[in-house]
Amino acid sequence: MSDYALLYILFAPFLGAIALIFVSNRELMLVRGIAAGSAFVSLLSSLYLFYAYDYVKGGFQFVQKFEWSHQLGISLHLGVDGIGTPLVLASSILLFAGIFVSWHIKDRTKEFYIWLLILAAATIGVFMSLDLFFLYFFYEMSVIPMYLLLGMWGSHTKKYNEMTDPEGLKLRDSVGFIYNFGSNSKEYAAMKLVLFLSAFAVAALMGILLIYKYAGLNTFDILVLREHANLMHIPVLGTTLDKIIWLLIFFGFASIAPLWPLHSWSPVGHAAAPAATSMLHAGVLMKLGHFSIIRVAFEILPETTRELMPIAAVLCMFSIVYGGFVAYYAKDTKYVIGYSSSSHMGYVFLGMAALDYISLTGAVMYMFAHAMATGMLFAMAGWVYDQTHTRDIPSLGGLANRMPFISGCFVIGCMASIGVPGTINFIAEVMIIVGSWEKYPFQVIVAVVGIVLTLAYLFKMMRGIFYGPMSPNYSHAHDAVSAVDRLPLLIMITVSIGFFFFPMHLYNVVRSGVDPLIAKITRVVPLADAGAGQRLEVRGDGGVPLADFPVPITASPVSGGQP
Amino acid sequence: MNFSLMISPSDLLLLLPEIILTVWLCLILIIDFSFPRFPNEQLAYLSITGLGATLGCLAWLSAGHVTGALFANMFVLDGMALFFKMLIVGSTILVILASIDYVHRFKFFRGEYYFLIVMAALGMMFMASANDLLSVFVTLEFSTFGFYVLVAYLREDMASNEAGIKFFILGVFAAGLLAYGLSLVYGETGQLVFSNMKLTEVTPGLAIGFLLIFGALGFKIGAVPFHSWIPDTYHGSPTPVTAFLSIAPKGAAFAILLRMFFIALVAFKPIWVLLLVAASVLSMTYGNIVAIAQKNMKRLLAYSGIAQIGNVLIGLAAGTKMGNDAILFYLLTYLFANLGAFAVIIAVSEAIGSEEIHDYSGLGRRSPFLAFSMLVFLLSLAGVPPLAGFVGKLYIFVAAMKEGLYVLISVGLINIVISMYYYLIVVKKMYITEPHDSSSIRVSGPIKAVLYVCLAGTLIIGIYPQPFTDWVVSATMMFSGLADSPLTVIPPTISNP
Repeated sequence: MSDYALLYILFAPFLGAIALIFVSNRELMLVRGIAAGSAFVSLLSSLYLFYAYDYVKGGFQFVQKFEWSHQLGISLHLGVDGIGTPLVLASSILLFAGIFVSWHIKDRTKEFYIWLLILAAATIGVFMSLDLFFLYFFYEMSVIPMYLLLGMWGSHTKKYNEMTDPEGLKLRDSVGFIYNFGSNSKEYAAMKLVLFLSAFAVAALMGILLIYKYAGLNTFDILVLREHANLMHIPVLGTTLDKIIWLLIFFGFASIAPLWPLHSWSPVGHAAAPAATSMLHAGVLMKLGHFSIIRVAFEILPETTRELMPIAAVLCMFSIVYGGFVAYYAKDTKYVIGYSSSSHMGYVFLGMAALDYISLTGAVMYMFAHAMATGMLFAMAGWVYDQTHTRDIPSLGGLANRMPFISGCFVIGCMASIGVPGTINFIAEVMIIVGSWEKYPFQVIVAVVGIVLTLAYLFKMMRGIFYGPMSPNYSHAHDAVSAVDRLPLLIMITVSIGFFFFPMHLYNVVRSGVDPLIAKITRVVPLADAGAGQRLEVRGDGGVPLADFPVPITASPVSGGQP
Repeated sequence: MNFSLMISPSDLLLLLPEIILTVWLCLILIIDFSFPRFPNEQLAYLSITGLGATLGCLAWLSAGHVTGALFANMFVLDGMALFFKMLIVGSTILVILASIDYVHRFKFFRGEYYFLIVMAALGMMFMASANDLLSVFVTLEFSTFGFYVLVAYLREDMASNEAGIKFFILGVFAAGLLAYGLSLVYGETGQLVFSNMKLTEVTPGLAIGFLLIFGALGFKIGAVPFHSWIPDTYHGSPTPVTAFLSIAPKGAAFAILLRMFFIALVAFKPIWVLLLVAASVLSMTYGNIVAIAQKNMKRLLAYSGIAQIGNVLIGLAAGTKMGNDAILFYLLTYLFANLGAFAVIIAVSEAIGSEEIHDYSGLGRRSPFLAFSMLVFLLSLAGVPPLAGFVGKLYIFVAAMKEGLYVLISVGLINIVISMYYYLIVVKKMYITEPHDSSSIRVSGPIKAVLYVCLAGTLIIGIYPQPFTDWVVSATMMFSGLADSPLTVIPPTISNP
């Protein structure tokens, strides 16, 4: 098992999807069984992966390499480092939970599970690709299932246009309204999502092709490119090529993250999507953006990253504040959670932008933590919608009487999302804030304001749905009582709380991936045993190739390298 | 130029596929005329048998690496010719399979339909081998002749008649341009065979001559600005003929284009690259933008075909061996995706009698298999992984990137996004919109066979393209010296007496 763990994780959902093609929709339990079974194989393997990852050794482990096309220099090169490992785990947890969350889907169940499995498998594929071609391949592959999942099993946001803010003014997606023109159908949401993501994905593809061409190595292999590609100092169009490539890659992938001006597809998509899809979408699909930026831009263009990453530091503030305010005024449960997700992704950008050991580790841990928190919230919003057929917060209320279990879990979900001590989000948030304080104090203040905003809108939503007087319309709504309905929530809660009490393995794993990366980018070397906060500043001049730069790290080798 | 009509038996080997098909063609015609009661379904399977034998023969020649030239280099058989012949014969087999149900719509001459299809295929096989000006003209007209009749085969249908007239008039006009261009080129160089033309400088006669030839071939492949016949003809023709028209003549014309640009004109690459870049940008952009407005599936695929040809021209503009590999590969992926999509159109129109996109509503409920096939084919055309079209597009972009055609690649990438919109509109109709009428649609055996073959092709090439890239790379071995020096005559392995 040890060598093939990645193949099991990646191909179990694909094979499950293929097996489902041959099953009739009438055999409902068999369909669900196959879907859950293949997700379970994936989950077990990724748990094994997570705990078997050797963080002392660091670097890329469990590497698999198969020649795919030697004319184009492409190979199916899979491997995970400390950054990919927790995200693979998060994806397979959310896939497994998502299968149970969508247990009651009656319409075309088989097709739903097929597309859900393909979506999750493609996402997992990105997290383990060590080849630029396959990174893009899986990335783009994850977009199309979203279209069908949103379109076929999603829901319109019918009341969106009639919703008003406290003054009675029409509330709309403010800035997003410019290119949202009041449309609120699921078809619109699905089309917008696919076109938006594809448009930015091809920008990233252009960047990838430029890397391929100017590296001149006839390969898409990230490990080869990061060691040997010399893309610096090529003048082009009044600037240098590496900057153009970096910007293409950064904005290409930041659209799915979603960074502030490129976010408008995301809440619309969340709102239209069925619960399990929203979970995967907000939980892991968004992290594809951060992850791909780390994997491509950080790895291959470290110097440029150091120069241009302040862009992210500026934009992340807008993400945090804008997302927070819209979430506060939104009246649709899924819009609130959707905007809260896009606001929280700003923290990850802040952590990345600071280019600090602590903050980047915090950012990666936050991705993991946020996957669990937002997964919970979307799962419960989906449950409430299934029971009441509305997501309009003002018309809901008092549901805690009808669904004590869900409302209890919802409180935990909100706590996790806010980052209350007791959940892994707290640790991650603190690390981001502490890590970036030195470099971006103003942004940190904004982030703290963002936390207060999170508190405000989530508590407001919680009160609106579960407390206060209950409308008699919802007296038929019932709680999640069966094991199948409770299982996904319990899994995510356990993970979220469990890692708060035992965070060291997660921290060590992430740190082993972050260390060589930050050392390469900033040339600030951590003294692993010399206690926190103490650093050795090493300033190299820009012209020295990094490969020649000796980096003394005791914990993990800088080059990462293949085992 | 000593022209000899003496043909040795070993020369016949080079012509074997064409000979087999010619004999078979006569057989089909004789059976059709002599036994009027012979069921035309059997006639279809008979044609497929003959085409299958031809395909087998081509595969055998290809495996044995048999190459050579005949009739003073007029007819050449090399890896590229074999590739295109296999492409043509393969698509013909699929088209005939897809026609079996459709033929019931013709009131008369059902037998001759197969004859004409096979005849057009034979003409295109010769086209793939044409190596001089004369054979270019003869084979091009030979193959088009069959299509003139086929396009207007639905005699009662005004649209089909209109398609036939338009195709005929514009086709004849293109043939006139071609003849004029050929005569100018011959007058300037005094040579008929591409490889004998030692072109060093551009003269006005030569430039106009080659432009006219490019125009005529551009008409065949449907590149902007020679595309105007495409939408109406595709719309009006019987659907299997449209399917045939959308792939086989394009393949054959690309064989000639490749020979012309890379053998006769290789010295002028910096000049013709501009021409190809312009044609490519116009084709992609025009095709994709106009396709958005279409209400009819066949017209949608017609415009999408124009855009796809723009993509192929990127590979031609790269002007390297890798670019040529990418063209061959792309056409292979296009064959499966496009024929498959047309097969779905045939199946749907057999069941509900309509080709409007609106009537595809709820196809996902009425026939999950058809809808899924259409989804796969359209996404492959759009270039979505893990389907064949994605690898084809990437291959072309990589080839162009190596030559530094950044603008062309950017336009191509933007066009992928535009094309995704109209393909997804169809997907939306099929899967998201509820059906007007929820009766299920039955798919007949032959169409199912076509769909399975096309699905397998689209998925296998997309997931594991290595054998296919190896194949196209070996098929264009003749261009391996492209970067360094102009090509000379293909050395005939079988000598000409």
